[in-house]
Amino acid sequence: MYLEIRDLHKSFGSGDSRCEVLRGISCGIEKGHICVLLGPSGSGKSTLLNIIGGIETADSGSIGIGGQKIAAMSQRELSLYRRKHLGYVFQSYNLIPNLTVKENIEVGAYLADKPLPTEDILKTLGLWEHRDKVPSQLSGGQQQRTAIGRAIIKNPDILLCDEPTGALDYKTSKEILDLIERVNKKYGNTVILVTHNDAIKRMADRVIRLRDGAIRSDEENTEKLGAMQLDW
Amino acid sequence: MKNPLSRRLLRELRQDIGKYIALFLFLTLTTGFISGFLVADGSMVRAYDESFEKYNIESGHFILEDKLPDETRAKLEAAGVSVHELFYKEATLDNENTVRIFKNRSEVNRADVLDGCLPESEGEIAADRLYLENNGLTIGDELAGLKITGAVALSDYSALFKNNTDMMLDANKFCVAVVTPETFDEIDENIHLCYAWLNNDKTLSDEQCRDKSDELGEILAADCGISDIVERSENQAISFTGEDMGSDKAMMTTLLYVVIVILGFVFAITTRSTIEQESGTVGTLLASGYTRGELIRHYMAMPVIVTLIAAVIGNVLGYTVFKDVCAGMYYHSYSLPTYVTVWNAEAFVKTTLVPCVLIALTVYLVLWRVMRLPVQSFLRHDLRVRKKQFVPRLKAGSITERFRKRVILQNRSAYITLFIGILFANILLLFGLIMPPVLDNFKTEVLETKFADYQYILKTPTLTENESAEPFCLASLEYDDEEISVYGIKADSKYADFSYLPAHRDNILVSEGFLEKYGLSAGDKITLHEKYGEREYTFNVFGTADYAAGLAVFMDKASFNENFDLDMRFFNGYFSNERLTDLDPEAVSTVITEHDLTVIADQLNDSMGFMFPLMCGFSLALYMLLVYLLSKMIIEKNAQSISMLKILGYTPREISSLYNSATAIAVGVSLIVTIPISALIMKWLFYYYMHEMSGWVSFYIAPWIWPAMLGLGAAAYFIVHLIQTKRLGKIPLAQALKNME
Repeated sequence: MYLEIRDLHKSFGSGDSRCEVLRGISCGIEKGHICVLLGPSGSGKSTLLNIIGGIETADSGSIGIGGQKIAAMSQRELSLYRRKHLGYVFQSYNLIPNLTVKENIEVGAYLADKPLPTEDILKTLGLWEHRDKVPSQLSGGQQQRTAIGRAIIKNPDILLCDEPTGALDYKTSKEILDLIERVNKKYGNTVILVTHNDAIKRMADRVIRLRDGAIRSDEENTEKLGAMQLDW
Repeated sequence: MKNPLSRRLLRELRQDIGKYIALFLFLTLTTGFISGFLVADGSMVRAYDESFEKYNIESGHFILEDKLPDETRAKLEAAGVSVHELFYKEATLDNENTVRIFKNRSEVNRADVLDGCLPESEGEIAADRLYLENNGLTIGDELAGLKITGAVALSDYSALFKNNTDMMLDANKFCVAVVTPETFDEIDENIHLCYAWLNNDKTLSDEQCRDKSDELGEILAADCGISDIVERSENQAISFTGEDMGSDKAMMTTLLYVVIVILGFVFAITTRSTIEQESGTVGTLLASGYTRGELIRHYMAMPVIVTLIAAVIGNVLGYTVFKDVCAGMYYHSYSLPTYVTVWNAEAFVKTTLVPCVLIALTVYLVLWRVMRLPVQSFLRHDLRVRKKQFVPRLKAGSITERFRKRVILQNRSAYITLFIGILFANILLLFGLIMPPVLDNFKTEVLETKFADYQYILKTPTLTENESAEPFCLASLEYDDEEISVYGIKADSKYADFSYLPAHRDNILVSEGFLEKYGLSAGDKITLHEKYGEREYTFNVFGTADYAAGLAVFMDKASFNENFDLDMRFFNGYFSNERLTDLDPEAVSTVITEHDLTVIADQLNDSMGFMFPLMCGFSLALYMLLVYLLSKMIIEKNAQSISMLKILGYTPREISSLYNSATAIAVGVSLIVTIPISALIMKWLFYYYMHEMSGWVSFYIAPWIWPAMLGLGAAAYFIVHLIQTKRLGKIPLAQALKNME
């Protein structure tokens, strides 16, 4: 397994208000796979994603990526780990508001030793005409595509997507999912996609369902569909 | 029902406590100091104004060569004045200081006893309080061989001008004092026959008072030999203090308002930034039915409350702590009588109401502009006032360079405020830094260009055996109401080292200060006129004389004697590097020493010296406050992006190089651009001030001041930079995960 998670525990708060969000999560994901983390609100899927991304730390358990243990890393090492291995896409895009589309993507390119060509990415994502616009001049879909561009330009080993279509309409959502799928195919990145939309599981190689901080099911999808074939 | 939003104010205060504490402290100290200054100034001005009646200050005085004949006195009294003897003797101390000694005064120009008592017995003296302080003398010590019984303020010497024509008062080397009539008679010095007059009609206007003085002058000129006649408004020893206090007040009030407007913009920009961060909430509140006015009032509340509290506490400090500090400043410069603190409504309005109104107005204007936007703009987090957004293309440079440029463009209003603030802070800093070198430079130039160690001014031509003495002629004329010394110097003078002294009677050399002050140059014609007479003299400016001690013109001695219709052998002064001990003291009018030439620099340094480091400290504090608050705002405004950059894998150092370096560039550019601008403004202000004064001191910026200003600015920025880097490091990664919608 490329990504191995072992007995992960995480809780927030203390005393009476203590809430255990992850209760002993263990799973693994193959390199180059698309893995969908499914679950209702509060199931712990975003927390799990954030721990994989090194944004939050687990109370116990371990995460290994390509043999590297995250738990033992200092803040600086975590920074380097994110820089080297991860790309992040959020529901709320989190673009730098005062940078243009091209510059936002270049912010990602700066971190990589060998970034993908910016112009190729802009064209692949359909952002070439919008490259000199700032985020506030873009639609939600265009902003999300920019966020994907920023994440993939450094050709990360793992692309972490937290509800990437949560703020988008049906058509745009499918376009974004299609984009993620194409990126996965073209560059071979491992994609972990958090969603509460059950239909999206059909584009995944692997589907992990969470409820109340525990894995309800962890199965391979043998009848994988293309993103544009999805319907909900 | 009370607006529930008001409950949020305390939370807002807690959340942004650093900003509010910094602004509060700065506002409190600024308003406190200026309130204290205005209160002290108002109280002092009142004490000064009341002193004319309280101490029966003269309407003028004249000095005669012989005692006033009874018939002339009768003529003067018939002209509507009463005449009072104000004879004095001058004792020169071992340290060359001069003590001008009067008899105890009971009728005119009475003394205010600040400490101790007036002399009652022989061998006692009460002397000027400021001189005693400056020379470390106390009651019981000796002065001019007499025992000091009290520290007094003579009402006709609130500014210790030895001669009315002096450029500056001299509270270090010149003193006035009173003794009993018996002691006065025993002092073995020349008596100066000074008479003060009081106008019987107290309602005369200033112009009528001057006319009266002219009338008395004509009566006296007809009967006696007059050495001097000075009307009260022209007497610097009386009028200088009042005029100076008035100008200080205007300067301090302007300083306060400029600081308040700058801080108003800081409040406005940071509040606007808060609205940007909370735009979703603002939009929701507007959509829920809150009016724009309610929200503007809500966001204005904290700036106005903080200003109001700071102004009130500042005023309390002003009336208690700072009033004494500021009164001490005046007492350190002038020999003022005792003052009583008076309630100053003007100071209250200027330091409490006006700052609140200025802050409220500045914040309101900025908020009104943003709050006019439609509700949807807030809900979409799009608070651009101009809908057609212009995004400049930045092609050149790496992404980090362009990133910094974008940060600067994004925060241009903050950086413009920073630029204006830094410009203002630099003007204050420059003032604090340049004055000591300006005064030192003046002293150096004066000493380098002085003709001789001693200039003896004679009443009548008197011969000396001393071979170092060289005779010269001196007259005093006026140009634009300013006294100009006219020298007639021997063509082969061994003291005045002019490369060429024109021989033609109409051609003169003019001192650099004179040329600079009145914008004259070689080839111009100038007309000088007599102070009391009507005769005018027109000369051609032939060249520049290297002489810094005063405003003067120079001509060949023969030309001088010809121009003034004097015998060719006439002279009325000696240059000498040695004391001329064989001169009859009765024949000597004045001896000008090095100290007399540099007294302006010494006195300015003495009375204002402590202000210079204070100005430097204040300007650096203002500078740091502005950089701190605006860079803090920029970091907070971009917290989401900074958090995202951390998630992407940027190190704190890289992030700091993007955001803090943008501020560093803005600060650096502001510093580099504003330093020469502030020098130009300071030069203009300096010349404006010098034009108001008699004499001239050249503007001079010591070479070390440029790097010092840059260094101080950079050091101050570096401290703020460290704080902001720490702040940047504290922004959590999870910030980006918060749903800003």
